[in-house]
Amino acid sequence: MTVETVHKGMALSGVAAAITVAASVAVGLGTAAGPAEAATAAPLALEGSAAPSPWKRYKDWNQADWSKFNDLAHPDRAPAPPKPGELRQVADPGKGDPAKGKQLAFSRARGGGCLSCHIMGPETLEMPGNSGPDLSEIGTWGRSDLELFNRVWDARVFNAETTMPPWGAHGYYTEQEVRDIVAFLQTLKTPATFANPLDDPAKRPLPVEDRDWTDPFVNPSAELIDTGRVFFEKPGPSGQSCASCHTDPETAFKGWAARMPYYEPRLDKVVGVAEFVARHAKATTGAEWLMQSPENTALHVYLTNLSAGTKVKLDVSSPGAQDALKRGEALTRLKIGQQHMACVDCHEKIGETWLRGQFLGKLPGQVAHFPLWRTSRQETWDIRKRFQWCGVQIRANDLPPDAKEYGDLEIYLTHISEGWPIEAPNIRH
Amino acid sequence: MADIKPRIKVPKTAKKGEVVEIKTLVSHVMESGQRKDAEGKTIPRKIINRFTCEFNGKPVCEMTLHPAISANPFISFFAKVEESGTFTFTWYDDDGSVYKAESKIDVTA
Repeated sequence: MTVETVHKGMALSGVAAAITVAASVAVGLGTAAGPAEAATAAPLALEGSAAPSPWKRYKDWNQADWSKFNDLAHPDRAPAPPKPGELRQVADPGKGDPAKGKQLAFSRARGGGCLSCHIMGPETLEMPGNSGPDLSEIGTWGRSDLELFNRVWDARVFNAETTMPPWGAHGYYTEQEVRDIVAFLQTLKTPATFANPLDDPAKRPLPVEDRDWTDPFVNPSAELIDTGRVFFEKPGPSGQSCASCHTDPETAFKGWAARMPYYEPRLDKVVGVAEFVARHAKATTGAEWLMQSPENTALHVYLTNLSAGTKVKLDVSSPGAQDALKRGEALTRLKIGQQHMACVDCHEKIGETWLRGQFLGKLPGQVAHFPLWRTSRQETWDIRKRFQWCGVQIRANDLPPDAKEYGDLEIYLTHISEGWPIEAPNIRH
Repeated sequence: MADIKPRIKVPKTAKKGEVVEIKTLVSHVMESGQRKDAEGKTIPRKIINRFTCEFNGKPVCEMTLHPAISANPFISFFAKVEESGTFTFTWYDDDGSVYKAESKIDVTA
């Protein structure tokens, strides 16, 4: 097969300059705990954000503001939890309309969707989840209306570490709506039956991703491997390209991405491939390849793919990396958002169960297939964008992609994925 | 999408009279001309407007493409092969650029 291309240069969309070069060469740092083998630290533009600044959420995402609740950078915003055992006292906690309650329980429109985690009797809609208890017969359990009311309103009154979101206390449902839900729960007295065997989460086969992710006909992100190579050779404003210094990237970068992210002492934060590309390109070729720009994403895919097959192994020996690991581990347990959930709620405590039709994976190994093609969004995403999406899904404000907190989370998740081979760009729903 | 690179998938060999599947994929923005940039100015249309496939100089498939076709058009079709030869694929861009690719196939009796 021969392929001949005749093309004219295509204009690239301009991205706003956010980084200014502070130092083109860092001196006096000795051997940095950096990704490069070189004894001197790689030149980085150290000033400003590596992402568009001020950061604005992607325009086709939910634009709601959840600054009343925690996010990864603001752990102290959530309203105070109830005192253990001090139930919220309401008049007639079960006096509601079961039909309305059923509508709320089954509706995705209100952001609730009890079926995401619970099976609720024979009328359960398709593909319920099983990460919470099966509630099909809860009406026969002898629970008082007040107890059920409080379990929906704010279950932390019974268990401070519960994974059940505080639906009432965090403003999803009004008191009357919770009464409606309680009335509906008390009507559930019959075990669920499933017309389609796939609807039973206990019998649903686990998802297997076995498409050929290396084939651009199958995986649009694989197309970016070549695109990234083109950017690698494209001269920036300084007249230099990546290839001016890195003459043999296929050899030099084999295994590099498997050692990323790393703790960067000059920035006092953890830097991943995308931020490194943005700051290093700015300092060398002068290119403005901000994080999440098409150029940065293509380079990220290309450089990560050069390590395909290499097992993840980070050097976390420096004190800075050790501190970042501790912060990252703590962040996986921080409850955030209106839904007041932590990474570990979905990916450890109730991990390897179904959230509606999606299977929740455990934390180790998740990073090794990023960046990837998200079939549900038809976009190439790196792990930072995935972090942002996780937050927005549980109604927590996203942070800029170069946020220190995301760096801490990324280094922790990568460290616990040690030994997993890089398989990127992969494909996921 | 910096570079426009056509990719094709055609079997290397086939039996005489066999119907083979041909897949083509070209990286292209397919800018519809309907979108506006941040300043409210219309982003000019730039699409691949025509695609042809020939086998040994004879037409196999020709199509015109319009602005509703999404980026990186993936075109797949079937052809019956009676003899060995070369498939030639051509994509025509609004800006006058022409992208070509070809693939040989050996046909046995």
